[in-house]
Amino acid sequence: MSTTGEKGSTTTKTPADFLKSIRGRPVVVKLNSGVDYRGILACLDGYMNIAMEQTEEYVNGQLKNKYGDAFIRGNNVLYISTSKRTLADGA
Amino acid sequence: MANNPSQLLPSELIDRCIGSKIWVIMKGDKELVGTLRGFDVYVNMVLEDVTEYEITSEGRRITKLDQILLNGNNIAILVPGGSPDPE
Repeated sequence: MSTTGEKGSTTTKTPADFLKSIRGRPVVVKLNSGVDYRGILACLDGYMNIAMEQTEEYVNGQLKNKYGDAFIRGNNVLYISTSKRTLADGA
Repeated sequence: MANNPSQLLPSELIDRCIGSKIWVIMKGDKELVGTLRGFDVYVNMVLEDVTEYEITSEGRRITKLDQILLNGNNIAILVPGGSPDPE
């Protein structure tokens, strides 16, 4: 009995597949605190530990800091998103 | 007995949601709606075409995201079929 079964109709993409596919891509990483980090994903692991380059730190949607290289410990990560983001600032 | 169809594991229920909309309610004031692409034993999830709702004192902040890996750590409830809200 498989939890992430092999489905034919829709392409399943497990977290492991996702991690493999996004290395080197521009990403947005959101932490549990609500702070966003945008940059190029250098590498990452199964704990969601992340190394990023050209990192920009956004607090409440406003740029607060820039880092050439940044390491984020995985326990703080809420999500990792591919960065084709349309910012719809709802009320 | 082992293959009693009335017995459905929670993970099998989520597995049936792959490819369709799902509503994720997080611990704290955050919700996401998106298409489920996959998940693992920790219920970390890969979601596509995601709308993120952050409920703040000033109202809802909405963020659209292309494809995300959501950490399972703060997931509270999963609802198959997406949010009942129109938007």
